Amino acid sequence: MKRKALAHVCLGLSLALLSSSLTGCTFGFASDPDDPDEEVREEPIDTSVDTFQYDPSLDGTSITLLNSKAEIQVALEKMSAEYESRSGVHVEVMPVTDGDSPYTKVVSLYNSGNPPTMSILDTTDVIALAEEKAADLTEELWTAEADGYLTEVNGKIYSFPLCIEGRGIIYNRAVIEETLGEPFDPASITTLSDFNRLLDRLAASGMERPLSLAKEDWSLGAHQLQYIYETYNGTSEGAQEVIGQIKAGQLDLNTYPRMNEFLDAFDLLRSYNVSLKDPLGADYDEMAIDLADGKTAFWFNGNWAWPNLSEAGAENEDAYGFLPYFLNDDPNDFANQKIQASPSKQVMLDGQMASDKEQAAAKEFLNWIVYSEIGQQMLVKTCNIIPPFQNNPYEPGDPLSRDIYIKVHNDEAFNASAIVPNDHWAVLGAAMQKYLAGRSDRQELIDSIRAYWDEQE
Amino acid sequence: MKSKSNGKDFCTFALPGLFCFLAVVIVPFLYGVYLTLTDWNGVSNDKNFVGLKNFAGVIRDTQFWSSLLLTFRYVIFVVIIVNVIAFAIAWLLTRGIRGQNFFRAGFFTPNLIGGIVLGYIWQFVFSRVFVSIGDSTGWGAFEASWLSDPAKAFAALVIVSVWQLSGYMILIYVAGFMGLSEDVLEAASIDGASGFIKLKNIIMPLMMSSVTICLFLTLSRAFMVYDVNLSLTAGAPYGTTEMAAMHVYEKAFTSRQFGVGQAEALVLFIITACISGLQVYLTKKKEVEA
Amino acid sequence: MKQTTVGGNRRKIINALMMAGLIVIFIAYMFPFVMVVINSLKQKRDIIKSPFSWLFTIKGLSFDNFVKAFTQMDFLNAFKNSLIVTISATALVTLLAAMLAYYIVRHKNWISNMTFALMVASMIIPFQAIMIPLVSIYGGTLNILNHRLTLIFMHTGFSMAMSVFMFHGFLNGNIPIALEEAAYIDGCTHSQTFFKIVFPLLKPIISTMVILNALAFWNDFLLPSLVLTDKKLLTLPLSTYSFYGTYSADYGTIMAGLLLCVIPILVLYMALQKQIINGVVAGAVK
Repeated sequence: MKRKALAHVCLGLSLALLSSSLTGCTFGFASDPDDPDEEVREEPIDTSVDTFQYDPSLDGTSITLLNSKAEIQVALEKMSAEYESRSGVHVEVMPVTDGDSPYTKVVSLYNSGNPPTMSILDTTDVIALAEEKAADLTEELWTAEADGYLTEVNGKIYSFPLCIEGRGIIYNRAVIEETLGEPFDPASITTLSDFNRLLDRLAASGMERPLSLAKEDWSLGAHQLQYIYETYNGTSEGAQEVIGQIKAGQLDLNTYPRMNEFLDAFDLLRSYNVSLKDPLGADYDEMAIDLADGKTAFWFNGNWAWPNLSEAGAENEDAYGFLPYFLNDDPNDFANQKIQASPSKQVMLDGQMASDKEQAAAKEFLNWIVYSEIGQQMLVKTCNIIPPFQNNPYEPGDPLSRDIYIKVHNDEAFNASAIVPNDHWAVLGAAMQKYLAGRSDRQELIDSIRAYWDEQE
Repeated sequence: MKSKSNGKDFCTFALPGLFCFLAVVIVPFLYGVYLTLTDWNGVSNDKNFVGLKNFAGVIRDTQFWSSLLLTFRYVIFVVIIVNVIAFAIAWLLTRGIRGQNFFRAGFFTPNLIGGIVLGYIWQFVFSRVFVSIGDSTGWGAFEASWLSDPAKAFAALVIVSVWQLSGYMILIYVAGFMGLSEDVLEAASIDGASGFIKLKNIIMPLMMSSVTICLFLTLSRAFMVYDVNLSLTAGAPYGTTEMAAMHVYEKAFTSRQFGVGQAEALVLFIITACISGLQVYLTKKKEVEA
Repeated sequence: MKQTTVGGNRRKIINALMMAGLIVIFIAYMFPFVMVVINSLKQKRDIIKSPFSWLFTIKGLSFDNFVKAFTQMDFLNAFKNSLIVTISATALVTLLAAMLAYYIVRHKNWISNMTFALMVASMIIPFQAIMIPLVSIYGGTLNILNHRLTLIFMHTGFSMAMSVFMFHGFLNGNIPIALEEAAYIDGCTHSQTFFKIVFPLLKPIISTMVILNALAFWNDFLLPSLVLTDKKLLTLPLSTYSFYGTYSADYGTIMAGLLLCVIPILVLYMALQKQIINGVVAGAVK
C-alpha cells in the first residue's frame, strides 16, 4: 500500500512535470545562449607578510560577530578563520537571516543574556543602542584613519565604520556606445537636461526604455527620497539641520527647492522606466540581468549591486560606473557633479556583558582589519568592500566599487548621511511606491512626508 | 474515579503537560502583559510603570485600526472559502474513488513547506510565472503582476492562505467523515434521500464537531496571519495589504515602539478570543441540538 | 429496472465530473510544488528569465544546486539535529497531551475546566507577542538557551494546547466510558487503564497529531532561531540561512535545500497515511 502510494506520487509528479515542460515551449523566454559562466572569481590574498603584533595573552578567547550583511557571510567566515590561525582568537560569525531584522535579532540576543561581542549594524541601530549597550571606542587608534567616516553619539564614538557604500545611476558604457554607435564619456553629462537628451537619443536609437528602477521600499524610501536631505549642502550636519527644520515645521516642503528638484529628476527616471507598464511588478534580479544583457543601459542602485550583475554575466573588466543623481540644470551644483558615498554598516562592540578579555580580543580583531597586511587585503578583496580607512592601499576589484573608490579619492563624492527614524524607509517607501505607480500626485506625496514628520516626537 | 485518588491522578496525568504549557506560553504571556504597562523599549535596563499610556498609543494609531479592518475582510474570505473547499474535497475523498490515498497525500503537500519559503514561492509564481504566461497569451488578467495592484494583491493573499490552510482542514474533515458510520450513509441513500437533503439533514449534524474544530482553527490562524503576509506581499503595494499581526511586529521593531506594539498584540488577542469564543459557542450549540 | 440503469448512467456521469473537478483542483494544488522541483534543477538566470520552462534552458538541468545545498547546509549534521528535536518533542507532546486531555475529559472539576479554557484561549496568542518575554525569561533569567533540551521543552509547551484540544475532541466523541469501567472492575489502576485500554484506542488521532506536530517542529524557523545560535545544534531550516542575501536570494539552492528538508517528512507522511486509515477503520469496526 505504501509502495503503491509512492508510485502514485511519482507518476503524478512526472505527469505534472511533463505537462509543464510542454507548455514551456509556449511560455518560456529564449535565453541568451552565450552567457558566460557565473562563477564569481576570487582574488588571491598574499599572506607572506604579516607584521601585525598579536597579543599572545588573548590566545584561546572565543568571541562572536553578528553579521547583518548577508552577502559577505562566507567572506567573513574566511576572514575569521585566517585571523584565528594567527592570533588563536576564535570569531564565530552569526548571520541575521531573512525575515528577521538586525535590530530585532540584537534585541532578542540581549534579552537572552547572550549578546554578540560585536554586531554589524546600520547607523540608526547603532545610535539607538550605543549609550546603553556599546563599548566606548573613542580612544581606539583606527579612529585617526577613518576621519570623516565616524559616527559620534554625544561626542563619543561607539562604532567601527566597516565600509563605504555609494549610489547613483549605474551605467553600462558598452551598451550605450553600441546603441548610439559612438564613444560615450560619462563626464560629458553634467545636468538633468543632458541626461534627458541622452535618454531621448537612446530611445530614438531603438532602446525605448533604457532605465531600471527598483520598486523596493528601501530603494525608493531610503536611497532615492533621502536625497532631499542629503543634498541640502552635501554634509551630514546639513542633512540633520534640514531634518530638524522639517520636523519643527519651519521648512515648507512645497517650496523647498531640493524637494521639487528631486521630484523632477524622479519623474524623468520614472518615464524611462523599463517596466513603465507595471512599475511595481519590477523584479530586482531581472534588472541586473537586463543591464548586463544590454536590454537597459542604466539602473538606479549602489555598488552592492555588483554580486547580482556579476551573477548575470558582467565581468570585472567591463565598463560600469556611476552617474550622479542629477537634480537640475546647473552644472556647478555639487549634486550634479558628485555621487553620494558614505559609511553604511558599522561594527558595535558590546560593553555590557562581554568580559574585558573578550572586549580586548574584539578590539584586536578590528585593529587587525585596519592595520595588518592580511586584514587589509581580505577586507577589500575577500569581502569586496570599499574601506573607509586611509591607510588601506588596496583598490577594490569590481568596476562599481572601483568607480566609487576613485570618486571618493578625487573629491567627486559627497559624504552625507541623513539620520532618520528607523521606519522612515518603510513608511515613506510606501508613499513613494504609490507615486511611482502613478496612483498619487506630488501634493499627496509631499503631504505624506509632512504627516510622517509631524508624527515624530 | 472521582474519589480520593483525584489528587494523585492530577499529578500523574495532568501536571506534566500543564507545566510545560504554563512555563512556555502563559508565564511569558503574562510577563508580556506586564510589559505593556511599562515604557520598556525592548533593550533598556530600566522599566518604568506608565499605566495605560501604551493603550492610548494604540487608539491613536490609525494604521493599526485600518489593518485590523483589512484583517476582518481577509478572515471572512479565508474562513468561508477554506471550509467549503476542504469540506467538499474531504467528502469526495471518502467516497472510495480510485487513488483517494494519493489525492489525500497530494492535498496535504502545502503543509510540508514552511510559511516563509511558501510565500516566496508564491511571490515568484504571481510576479514571474503568471506574468510570463500573460506575456505569451495576452490574457489581460496576467498582464501585470497581481502583487502590484491593491485589490489583486489582497486576492493573492487569500488564494495562498486557502491553498495553505485547506490541506490541514481536509485532513480533519476526512477523519470526521471516516468516523461516520457507513450504515447512516447507506440508510440515507436507500431511502432515496437526494444528495443535498442527505447532506443537510444527516451528514451536517453528525459532522458538526469537525466543523467546530475547523472553523476555530481557520479563524484563529487567519487572524494571526504573519509568515505569508510578510513573504508574499510584505504589505505591498504601498502598505495596502498590511494585516494586523504584521503591523504589530512592524510597530514593535521597525518603528521601535515596543510598548505600543505589545499592547496592540494584546488587543488583537482579545478581539480574536472574543470572536473565536462566540463561534465555538454557536457551533457547539448546534452540536448539542443535533 | 429501466430507471435504475438511467440512474446508474447519471451516477457514472456525475462521478466522472467529480473526478475531473478533483483532478483540476489537485493540479492547482500541486503547481507551486512542481515549480519548486523544476526550478531546483535550474541555474538562477534561467529561473528568473524563464521560470516556467523545463526543456529550453540554456544551462540545461543539473543537480548542482542539490550538491551545493547539501554541503553548505552541513546536511547530515543538521538532519541529525532536526531528527533528535522532532522525534523527542513529538513523542513528549503526544504522550503528555493525551494524558492531560484524558484527565480533562474524565474529571469534570474546576481545574480541568479552567485548564481547557486557558488552553483554547492561548491558541490565539500571536507568537510575536511572547517572543521577547520568552527569551528574556529563558535566556536572561534562567540562562538555558542554546540547548536541545530547551528547544524540545518549548516545542512541547507551544504545541500542547492544540494537541490537547484535538485529543479532547476525539476522547469525547469516540471512547466509551464503559470499557474503562470494566477495566476498573477487573482491578486495573488508573494508569494501567489508560495505557492498556485508552491509549491504544487513540491510535487514529495519535497518527494525525504525530504527523501534524512532527511537521510543525521539522519546519519551524522562528522558535529555533531564537533558542539556538550554536552552529553545531542548528536544525535543517536554520541551516538554509546562507542562501538568502540582503538584496536577493540564491533561488535554485533555496529550492533544492527546501526539497532536501521536505523529502524525509514526505516519506513519514506516506508511511503514516496507512496507519491513519487503518486506525480509523479499526475504530469504526469495533
